[in-house]
Amino acid sequence: MNKIVSNVKNPQNDDRSDKLKLYSIGSVVILIAIVLLVNVLFDKILGKALTFDFSDALSNTISQESIDYINGLPADTKIRIVGLFDKPADVAQTEYQYICPLLDDYVKNSKGKITVDYINPNTQPTIISQLDPDNSFNLSSQTGNFVIKYNDKIKIISPYDCYSYDETYLSQGYYYVTGNNAEYSFTNSMYILTNGYSCKAYLITGLEEDDSNYIAKILESMAIEPIGLPVSENFTVPEDCDLIIMNGPQNDISEKMYVELSSFIKRGGKLFVAVDFNVVNVTEKYERLNRLLNEMNLVIDPYLIAENDSGYQLGGYQLDHLVKACEGFTDYAEITLLHSTNARSVRSADIPGNTFKTAPVLRTSENASTTALDQYGNVIESSMVSGKQFYAAMYSAGEGDDPAKAFVFGTMNFTSDQYISSYGINDTNVDFFKSCLRELTSSKQFNTLNVPTKNVENFSLDATKSTTSASTVVLVVFMILIPVLLVALAVIVYNKRKNL
Amino acid sequence: MLAIFKREFLSYFRSPVGYVAIALFSFLSGFIFYSQFATGAVNIATEVISLRSFFVIIVPIITMGLLSEDKKRGTDVLYYTTPVSLFNVVVGKVLAAFALYAIMFINVVIHIIVTLACGGDFEVGCIGTIIVFFFMAFMFITIGLFASAITDSQIISAIVAFVIILVTQLISTIGSYAGAAVTSVLSAIKVESATAAGNGIASAIAWFDPFVKTQDFRLGIFSVSALIYLVSIGVLFLYLTFRVLEKKRWSQA
Amino acid sequence: MIEINNLVKRYGDKKAVKGISFTVNDDEVLGFLGPNGAGKTTTMNIITGYLSSTSGTVKVNGHDILEEPELAKKEIGYLPENPPLYTDMTVNEYLSFICDLKGVPKDKRKEQLENIKSMVKIDDVQDRLIGNLSKGYKQRVGIAQALVGNPSILILDEPTVGLDPNQIIEIRRLIKSLSKTHSIIISSHILSEIQEVADRVVIINRGKIAAVDTLSDLSKRLSGQSKLLLTFRGSAKDSAAKIRTIKGVSAAVPRVVDSKLSQLEITISTSDTTEVRTQIFYLMANEGWPILEMRSLDPTLEEVFLSITAGKGRA
Repeated sequence: MNKIVSNVKNPQNDDRSDKLKLYSIGSVVILIAIVLLVNVLFDKILGKALTFDFSDALSNTISQESIDYINGLPADTKIRIVGLFDKPADVAQTEYQYICPLLDDYVKNSKGKITVDYINPNTQPTIISQLDPDNSFNLSSQTGNFVIKYNDKIKIISPYDCYSYDETYLSQGYYYVTGNNAEYSFTNSMYILTNGYSCKAYLITGLEEDDSNYIAKILESMAIEPIGLPVSENFTVPEDCDLIIMNGPQNDISEKMYVELSSFIKRGGKLFVAVDFNVVNVTEKYERLNRLLNEMNLVIDPYLIAENDSGYQLGGYQLDHLVKACEGFTDYAEITLLHSTNARSVRSADIPGNTFKTAPVLRTSENASTTALDQYGNVIESSMVSGKQFYAAMYSAGEGDDPAKAFVFGTMNFTSDQYISSYGINDTNVDFFKSCLRELTSSKQFNTLNVPTKNVENFSLDATKSTTSASTVVLVVFMILIPVLLVALAVIVYNKRKNL
Repeated sequence: MLAIFKREFLSYFRSPVGYVAIALFSFLSGFIFYSQFATGAVNIATEVISLRSFFVIIVPIITMGLLSEDKKRGTDVLYYTTPVSLFNVVVGKVLAAFALYAIMFINVVIHIIVTLACGGDFEVGCIGTIIVFFFMAFMFITIGLFASAITDSQIISAIVAFVIILVTQLISTIGSYAGAAVTSVLSAIKVESATAAGNGIASAIAWFDPFVKTQDFRLGIFSVSALIYLVSIGVLFLYLTFRVLEKKRWSQA
Repeated sequence: MIEINNLVKRYGDKKAVKGISFTVNDDEVLGFLGPNGAGKTTTMNIITGYLSSTSGTVKVNGHDILEEPELAKKEIGYLPENPPLYTDMTVNEYLSFICDLKGVPKDKRKEQLENIKSMVKIDDVQDRLIGNLSKGYKQRVGIAQALVGNPSILILDEPTVGLDPNQIIEIRRLIKSLSKTHSIIISSHILSEIQEVADRVVIINRGKIAAVDTLSDLSKRLSGQSKLLLTFRGSAKDSAAKIRTIKGVSAAVPRVVDSKLSQLEITISTSDTTEVRTQIFYLMANEGWPILEMRSLDPTLEEVFLSITAGKGRA
């Protein structure tokens, strides 16, 4: 009996401690619950709204162009974007750095029309048959790329399509990223999936020309489907061809091609030709091509334009200079002074043979001359005519409802990969080129989207200041001097205080 | 609070601890800066992010003695018997360690100045990582202080803080291992959605990863909810520390 | 003024303090006496707010330590048995930190610190590192710490423990001078120390109050307990019996120290030491037993408790 009594705790005695304990533990539990709740609330509900893109180029935010396009889509549109890889935990400093956050912004702005997920086909192979039941795109070899699916059409975007590279740096062993085209690539691809191509452009290949990756990209962005058209013995221009592009042929066309292209023009075909004067084609006079152009009252001279007006020269070079957009073409780009390098002179045919009307497109100053060089860069014929105006590009059009039209550029600065990669897809030259394409295909419907490309951050130091000796100073000061001084200070303070 | 802050902050500089911690930080940040500088391109964001991986060493050094030494010396009596609230004591100590971190960060500020003087770029992503750096420092310091509150040995406190911070830095990895383990166990007993369950667990654990939550700051994307996460974890540990101190009053052990 | 009412502190199943109640009046020195482990430190920790009691109340100048802790703590200066000193600070740095902690206004700070430093005589060490000071100086810095903020009540837990005799005298003198302006609770396990400084004594044992007494009452109570230690040469058998015949001697217990020299030690309990000592001197002289030593013995705490409980039984 006694034992039982002594085991019963006096409730009054223990009250305070128990209360404090309960309060203490209870408040911790409640705080944990609040922390979890607040975080889930912010993460799941307010997270997107409270996320702000402060990046300089708004690299991670889609532009108004894209938002307008998405808003214009019917509400039941379902565009699915799948990254065929495991999303890296941290995308910074991977090729996806500018892509994944941007895609999140698409989803955020799409009102459910666009979904993005990341599925690695190596671990979940069913994704391939889901996206591409016929396996016509061989998606298993597209690991690491993005697939955009709309209805049963798909397009593939590689992360490398999302950047511009300065190809002049290639010699150093790596590509130097100069621009961010992620939004450009994705929005334009979605546009083509939802709206389809408006016309087809055939790019002639096989005349030792350079690649045409960038103009293909530009054509896509305008909903013009770019198709390669290789040179062959039985060369024919396809029936569905709306536009032929010859981008920098280093060799003349064949007789068969001349015949085919001539008949293409006669039935109202559109032509875009760009050549320049370079070490490979110094001796090329493009006789058959000129015969073709002659039918449109145009000629490409085998001479190089040399600008003598220092106001037009760039960096004091005669061969790298500005050209001015001529009347009728002044609204083709925001500014009328454009950049031309190593341009062949283009002019009207001496004897107009037919009803084609020509117009100068790009002109030099009044004080230019032409010159001819050999393949070593030596002048072999100079100043044959000086103090005169030359044309770097010309336009010609026939008569009638939907006549044949042609642009002939004597410079590659508007279409070559090398130029566009260095100056970016938003360069005024590219804008000018796009206006030319619009003129040529004006009878067709256009992609009116004009998605801007963005700059990438450039953390390079000024090479004159970040010299080897400067980095040695950095090494000594920051890694040795400052830490050693601090340790010395520690020793001094310790000794001083120890004996107080 | 100010009294505690003043004492603890000054005591870093009355003993070698503060100087050594700053020297260590200077050396590490100097190394990272130099190795970037030598390549001719400096991204301060990269430097700051690399420095975050040293929280695991520096935070225990500067927090290990904050409360454990008081208990050992018997000076904790002062906090209980003078008209200062225990919560203010905890906050004052956190602020002192935080201020030491801010002093260390002067190194990075100098690096920024050098970078700008050499024509480099300091863009919004760098500012983002610096903001995250300080929020994380706050969170890890509260964890370190908590470790210091639960023991009267500096060494044990440092080890506990080291382990907790290390685990925090590895949360995503731990999550994926746990997920894989669950998947293999479930598929062994032939549960149909084994992979989904494993992935679910992996992502649930990874949700707590403060590094994943804040990674987009370096791209210039500032997420308020990620900062709230860091602050709330910090406040939680602050409160836990306060409760551990308070426990002494009512504990019957 | 401190009112302590029915304090209980439990540690698990064990009660360290079992219902202690007493009051400390203004400007009074209260001795808090008890053997080691009696609950002195626990009680003081509760009064200062370091620990919370399991039950019972402490009111400091009318402020409950649990309900108005900040007001109550302002009134108290506490020197724990182990002084809360930062060994890595100098005395000045430390005291100004304590000023910050106790919220002493900046304008009064300098004057107050000067006063305290000269009162506890630490002027000459004010710029030295506390860790390098002697035990006595450390104790004084501890007292100085308790004095910062002008509390009306000082609570000193074993302030003289571990000090050498000179230091003990210094500290006692200091406490006496402080008692003019402060209520002081001073704990000790040494009776004579309490007798020297305290006006009133609370004696506790095993968590309970054994007695609350003024100093004079305590002296009376202890007067029947005086003991004499006598060392002399002589016969063991006769001496004890003869001493017992002296008036006022209640007991005499002999012990042989050296049988060859027939040297004896005899403990004598008496109510009146002065008279008894004269009597013994004459007795020894008559018998021809040379007295080698005669001194009075302080009662041990255990004996005090015994006598107190015994006295209570008799009353």
